[in-house]
Amino acid sequence: MRPVALLLALLVACHGDRRPAVISPGTAQPWPAHRAVLLDQSPKAKRRAVPAEVFLRAYLGWFGDLAPYDAFLRARGNDLFDQWSYYLAALGLPDHHVDAPRISQSNTVMLATIGRLGEALCIRSVEHDLRANPPLDKRVIFAFEQPVQPTRETFAPAFDILHRTFLGYPVALAPIPRIDRFFALYREVASRQATRLTPDEMAWAAVCTALVQHPEAWVY
Amino acid sequence: MKRRDFLGVLTGGAASLALGPTWAGASTLPDEFFIFVHAGGGWDVTLWADPRNERRGLIDPATAGNSETGGLKYWKHAGGTFEILTSKSGLQLGPGIGSLYDLRERLTIINGLAMNTVSHDDGTTFSTTGRHRTGGAVPESSVDVVCANELGGRQLMPSVAIRFPSQFVGDRLDRRAVPLRVGSVDAITRSFVRSADYLQPPDRQAITALLTEEARELARDSTHPAPFDQLASQHQDLVPLLTGDFTKALGARQLQAAYPQFEYQGFQGGSTVAAAFAIEAIKRNLVRCVGFGLGGFDTHGANQRQHALQLQELFGTIAAMVKLLDATPHPTRRGAKLSEHTHILVVSEFCRTPQLNPAGGRDHYPNNSALVISPRFRPGPFGATDPDQLLPVDSVEFSDGRRAIAPPDLLATFLGAFGIDPRRYMRDGEIVKALLA
Repeated sequence: MRPVALLLALLVACHGDRRPAVISPGTAQPWPAHRAVLLDQSPKAKRRAVPAEVFLRAYLGWFGDLAPYDAFLRARGNDLFDQWSYYLAALGLPDHHVDAPRISQSNTVMLATIGRLGEALCIRSVEHDLRANPPLDKRVIFAFEQPVQPTRETFAPAFDILHRTFLGYPVALAPIPRIDRFFALYREVASRQATRLTPDEMAWAAVCTALVQHPEAWVY
Repeated sequence: MKRRDFLGVLTGGAASLALGPTWAGASTLPDEFFIFVHAGGGWDVTLWADPRNERRGLIDPATAGNSETGGLKYWKHAGGTFEILTSKSGLQLGPGIGSLYDLRERLTIINGLAMNTVSHDDGTTFSTTGRHRTGGAVPESSVDVVCANELGGRQLMPSVAIRFPSQFVGDRLDRRAVPLRVGSVDAITRSFVRSADYLQPPDRQAITALLTEEARELARDSTHPAPFDQLASQHQDLVPLLTGDFTKALGARQLQAAYPQFEYQGFQGGSTVAAAFAIEAIKRNLVRCVGFGLGGFDTHGANQRQHALQLQELFGTIAAMVKLLDATPHPTRRGAKLSEHTHILVVSEFCRTPQLNPAGGRDHYPNNSALVISPRFRPGPFGATDPDQLLPVDSVEFSDGRRAIAPPDLLATFLGAFGIDPRRYMRDGEIVKALLA
């Protein structure tokens, strides 16, 4: 057997200098038609609520890269917010004082707590950005010239800035039409008699408060 | 269709049929209420449910020398220890039962619960879900969440858990049953407080309506709509909570003033206000289940001397709740008392050793007792422990033979009492018909 195997190997080795067959171009043919698939069956990851720490970190980042203590200092007063320690378990964070573990599912109390904090920070931002009227590069949230008695057309670009800040993308790409809905909210709040702020300032605070609690900000 | 795909569809469909909420089946019981209490730390059952007043085997009974007996309402000296109390229903009770002894003919006490654990976390999970932890994780939902899932969907707050070890596990339950887990009553009401200086209630209603609408539309267009549906229903629930007198009526200070029956200055301090919250929230028909925890029973050292007094305070709270429920009309059933439709389950994670340790305390022990006060349960004792070691004995006939009753059996029976099929939620446990009225 061994001489036969050596002979075969020699033959194969001598055969290696032959050039490969040339593939000449043929006539272009159209691709066969694809079967139409109406239903998108590609695998999708399940949406989940972001952990409480992530959400809070986002809050602190949005409102000026605040440390938690600074956020408390900014938000307190006028019954807008008080100490963090009251809200640990309600926010979903572990609270070792009462042996409460982390909460993995959002609930109504959690939404209410985030809403309380969000409203407080939005109002303080209105006071800082719109009422005090610093230059645009010194503003935290409302980095636009406040339109006077805005129409839908003048509202949209300003709202787009807020939308990009809180939800991370232009409002024009939103999966559902959003400008009209938020403009309606703006007009409704602005139509009421405001207390400490002007009606327009209150309306921007309402738009901000709605955006920081938006469902798209809660899930990933 | 491939065979694997076909089997997947078949089993998925069967599972969803088996585990989805049974709103239709539960509609026969739309207005029952549930109160769950967790005695945190592990209680000494020899002082109340399974009393021991003889030095026998491992047992060191409580005496005036190793326990504070001064403030105990039902401590009667007998043979160096205490006299055991009895009821017509056959209960034997220790002096820690306190003023709940006045309601003794309504108590169902389960003794000799086989815990198979002496870990706080595991025992707590086992007592409230019927499953031990697996790799640290909780594998099943707790009993309050199951009741909320079956019977609580239409309530504003189906399940409130104030330091109660409530667990919502998996994605098959109705998202409205996610418990509101908080550390104190004030954490609930404080979260709903809003400043009157800026945005006004109609503004907040408009914001909440907008967010509900956005969440619903996102759910409609989403491949996995559950998180958005959950947020939509939670935003919707916010409206009455932000605009009504909820925060005024259910604040801790207001509750303490409205319910002086409870002890707010004792071992538990302000935590007892959770019991007042339960009564007020049920009276207002806001909740389906309220769970709360009262801790401090982990008495490894000299604090064991006060264990009976702590138990007396705990059961005093339960007794005050039952008396209030007796005196309160049902919010939706004309002519009915709340106590006829409110069901109380009191558990702890395990009991304490029958022998005293060198520090005078008692350590963790894998036996337990539980208390049920419900018109659907038969009053009296159930289960047993052995006389020398206080360990569960095989005293109950189950379909798998004679064995000791365990937490899954008790929880399955509790669910079964309200027409809920425990097998839809629990892997283990068997309904014990002898416990039911």
